[in-house]
Amino acid sequence: MSRESQAEQPAPSLAAYLGTLIVLLVLALAMTPVLWAVLSAFKSRADIFAGDVWPRRWSLENFEDLLAKTLYLRWMANSLVVALASTALGLLFCSLGGYAFAKFDFPGKTVMFWIVIASVSIPAFTTVIPLFGWLARLGLLDTYIVLILPFAANAFGIFLMRQYAVAIPNELLDAGRIDGAGEFRLYWSVVLPLLRPALGTVGVLIFIASWNSYIWPLVMMRTDEMLTLPVGVATLKSDQLPEYGMLMAASVLSSVPIIIAFLIMQRQFIAGLTQGAVK
Amino acid sequence: MLWPRLRRGLTPYLFLAPFFLTFIAFWLGPIIASLIYSFTDWRGFASPRFIGFANYSKLFADPRFWVALKNTLFYGVVYVTILNVSALALALCLDSLWLRFKNAVKVGFFLPVTISLVVAAVIFEMIFAKGVGLLNIVQKGLGLGEIDWLGDPRFSIWAIIILRVWRALGYYAVIYFAGLQGIPTDVKEAARLDGCSPWQVTRHVTLPLLKPVILFGVIMSTIWALELFDEPWVLTKGGPADSTLTIVIYLYQAGFQYVELGYAAAVSYVLTLMIVAIAIVQKLLSGREVA
Repeated sequence: MSRESQAEQPAPSLAAYLGTLIVLLVLALAMTPVLWAVLSAFKSRADIFAGDVWPRRWSLENFEDLLAKTLYLRWMANSLVVALASTALGLLFCSLGGYAFAKFDFPGKTVMFWIVIASVSIPAFTTVIPLFGWLARLGLLDTYIVLILPFAANAFGIFLMRQYAVAIPNELLDAGRIDGAGEFRLYWSVVLPLLRPALGTVGVLIFIASWNSYIWPLVMMRTDEMLTLPVGVATLKSDQLPEYGMLMAASVLSSVPIIIAFLIMQRQFIAGLTQGAVK
Repeated sequence: MLWPRLRRGLTPYLFLAPFFLTFIAFWLGPIIASLIYSFTDWRGFASPRFIGFANYSKLFADPRFWVALKNTLFYGVVYVTILNVSALALALCLDSLWLRFKNAVKVGFFLPVTISLVVAAVIFEMIFAKGVGLLNIVQKGLGLGEIDWLGDPRFSIWAIIILRVWRALGYYAVIYFAGLQGIPTDVKEAARLDGCSPWQVTRHVTLPLLKPVILFGVIMSTIWALELFDEPWVLTKGGPADSTLTIVIYLYQAGFQYVELGYAAAVSYVLTLMIVAIAIVQKLLSGREVA
């Protein structure tokens, strides 16, 4: 008999019923803001200010306004370009570097690795101030590069890649070398495929960090056309009379891609975000 | 014979170069530079001028900095306590769950984590809104008075706490749940056979074994609490009456509204030192765990 079925055998006790009830209750509470946002996105302005929970008339005007009157699609495109490029570059940089840390011996290795690890606990905004000054002087504010590169150099990513790369058997690498493969060839066709689980985890980490980041693009982007989704959506609310319907439409639309990605890759997402917590 | 050996020796450096060049340009360099700039008067395009500890003494003399520090610490203590206690309770409930759809429940709880902080803040703008907000609709339905959550300095920080706990609860519950799953069932089984009640098993067996995970949760949430910026900035810009002014908002205003970059660098280093201190405490505590 497996452990699984053994654990499930005892009849549910009162405590188990109570626990289940609490879990479902909290789940309902957790879902409420999301449902409220969806309902409100489909309300007309009159319905919103009437203060009803349910829309009297389902209306698409909020979405139409959002797409017609704001740069929403542009912001979405910016976010996608920046997050995808950060992820792709980050995976390349971290896997190459993590593999080097795991499988090569070279002078300075230990020091370099400890510098990377120590940097993880330094808060990101410490870097924002000098970078803002430098990038402004170089005329690099308002460019995609500024939003892409910091996320590509992900210290936690290189740490995780190293962890996975250590497990690759040396014999496999040596066999490749004897067969005459160049070092990059060896990385590309032997190491990279073996790192696939780590690639998924690190990819999710970098994508989420980039997609959700706020203070960084807020500081570095100067024109409306260059804003990313979070910054753009936040600017929509600065008017005197709040356009709640449009704000909710923007919130719902900008959450859809990441929620779909989450549902498809939830195993990877949860592994990625809880990595390091439980050994 | 020399060339292949040399090439072999260069390989790791070549492989590390893309990472390290961007890492130095965007992380290591700025971290060190920030410390140096914190001893200068540096405004926008003018060159930095060395002024010793002046920024730091100005900082500690500014009552608004102390307000920001007090708000951040109050928020941090309340948020970290509520979050970790309720996440742990929720994880224990999840563990006792007899439902077959444990995984679906887990995914449901995790969903708010994927929504960006800013988007979550915008959604809660309409939950806390006066008159048309969900919370006030519910309060009216229950016969309670209306609260101007975001406009009343007594409630604004609580609005931020509610929003943050909502967003993080599922994440921490899943971490604690994963920790609980890692505890071997036979240990709990043995305690139960020895006549322990479910509560005693939890109190004396499960929780002590979970200590490293709890420590991780508390430290991580404390560090993130100290970096609070997105939600109070989006919702209240630090107001009303500085009631949601946090250290990072103070830093942002100094650096990017008043463009006193040297002063802002000093603020960032005070906060960095606080966070590094917490990280060191974590190292010490978890080090003792191993020994």
